[in-house]
Amino acid sequence: MSDSSNQIEICFEINGRQVTQTVPVRMHAADFLRHQIGLTGTHLGCEQGICGMCTISVDDRPVKSCLMLAVQLDGAKVRTVESLAPDETELHPLQAAFKRHHALQCGFCTPGFLMLARSFAGRRMNRAEIAEEISGVLCRCTGYEGILRAIEEWLPGTWTDASLSDEAGQ
Amino acid sequence: MKASDFLYHRPESVPQVLGLLRDYAGGARILAGGQSLMPMMNLRLWRPAALIDIGRIPDLERLEQKGDVTILGPRFPYWRIENDRVIAERLPLLARMVRKVGDRQVRNRGTIGGSLVQADPTGEMPLGTLILGATIHAESIRGRRAIPVEQYFLGSYATAIEPDEMLVAVEYPRHPAYFSFAEVNRRHNDFAVVSVAVAGDRAADGTWHNLRIGLGGVDETPVLALAAMRRGEGTLLQAPDIAQMGILAAEHIDPPDDFRASADYRRHLTRVHLTRVLGSMLASAGFREE
Repeated sequence: MSDSSNQIEICFEINGRQVTQTVPVRMHAADFLRHQIGLTGTHLGCEQGICGMCTISVDDRPVKSCLMLAVQLDGAKVRTVESLAPDETELHPLQAAFKRHHALQCGFCTPGFLMLARSFAGRRMNRAEIAEEISGVLCRCTGYEGILRAIEEWLPGTWTDASLSDEAGQ
Repeated sequence: MKASDFLYHRPESVPQVLGLLRDYAGGARILAGGQSLMPMMNLRLWRPAALIDIGRIPDLERLEQKGDVTILGPRFPYWRIENDRVIAERLPLLARMVRKVGDRQVRNRGTIGGSLVQADPTGEMPLGTLILGATIHAESIRGRRAIPVEQYFLGSYATAIEPDEMLVAVEYPRHPAYFSFAEVNRRHNDFAVVSVAVAGDRAADGTWHNLRIGLGGVDETPVLALAAMRRGEGTLLQAPDIAQMGILAAEHIDPPDDFRASADYRRHLTRVHLTRVLGSMLASAGFREE
C-alpha cells in the first residue's frame, strides 16, 4: 500500500517513451502533461468534464484528462495530439483531412477532436454515429460540418491499415 | 479550477479501503473512474481530506452470473455495460440507458458504483437500478449489509451508504422480459429534464405482470410510479389503461421548478412519455397500441 503523501512518483508511457516523474497528487493529468511533461498540445477549457478540449488517449481509450489525476496515469500508455504527425513537415492523415475540410478555425478544440476521432480507426460508422460519438467535444467556430466531413473521409482509409489495428479500440 | 489539496491512498485490497474509511471518519472519498468526483473537486464543491483510489484493487470490475441474478463489481465500467454481450442479454435496460450517460470519454472512465454513490436525481444508472429492483451491497469494518434499492436513495446526491462504508457490489435479480426507456434533454448530453423507464413481463393470456415504472428528474431521487404500477398490474395495457397510468404518474409526483423546466411542464412530460414508453414496450412484445 502506498503511503499517503502529497507527492508521488509515477511511471508511464507517453507517446512511445517511458517517463518517471514525481507529481503532486492534486494535479490533474492535463496540467501534468502541459506543465511537467511540456506537451502543450492538450488544451484545457472548462476543467469540469464538459468541453472535451483535454481529450487524450489512455490505454487506447479517449478520456478527458482534466477528470483524471496525474497519479492515475501510473502504469498507463498515454497518447496526446503530439503523437499523431510523423514529423514537423508531415501531417497525420486525420490532420490532413481536417485541413482539407476546414474542420478548424481557431483550432483550440482540434486536439480534442483529433484524439477522439483517432480512436474510431477501424470502425464502420455512418454520419449519425460519428456525430453522436464526437458529442463530447465542443467546437464554437465550425458548426461541426467540416469536422464530420473530415472524419467521414479519413475513416475508410483506416479499415485495412493493419498498423492501426492495435489502437482500434473504442 | 483545480482540486484543493488532499492525501492520496492507493490500497491494494478492500479491507485496506475499509480501514482507511474508518480512520478518516467521513473525511475521505473513494476514487474510481472519477467522472462525478473529479468535477465536484475541480469546482471545489467538495474538498475531501483524502482520496482512496480503488483503481488497482483486483476483481472490482467483475461480472458474476448466478442463475437469473447478475452481480456487478463497483468498478464495472459504463463502456462494458454499453458493449458487453452478457449485459446485452441479461441487463438490456441498463445497456439501453447507459448510452445516455455522459459522452464517449465519460463512458470510458465512469463506473456503475460511482454513479450509484453519486446518486444524481437525473442519473440513468440510478433509475435503471431502481427499476430492476437491485440490491446494493455495502461493506465496512463493522460488516457487510444488503440494501434494497428502494431504500437506497435518500435524497439529491444522498444515499444510505454510511461514511465508513464502501459499495462493494450491485446485485440485479432476473430482468423482466420487456422494457422501454425515454429521456427528455434540453441539449445533447445534458442532465435529463424527465426520464421514464418501464419494465415488465407478459403472461400467455396477454396480461402484464411485475410492472416496474420509474421516473427520473421529477424528485430528489429517482422514484417508482407506484400508483401507475398498481393500475397497470394484471391488465392488458390497453389504451385506456395506459392513459390512466399516465395521469396517475403525473398526479403523484411533486417535480422541481427550475431553469430546465417548470413543475407543470415536467408533469406534462411525465404523462406523455410514460404513455409513449408503455406503447413502445407493448410494441416490443409484438402488440400495437390501439
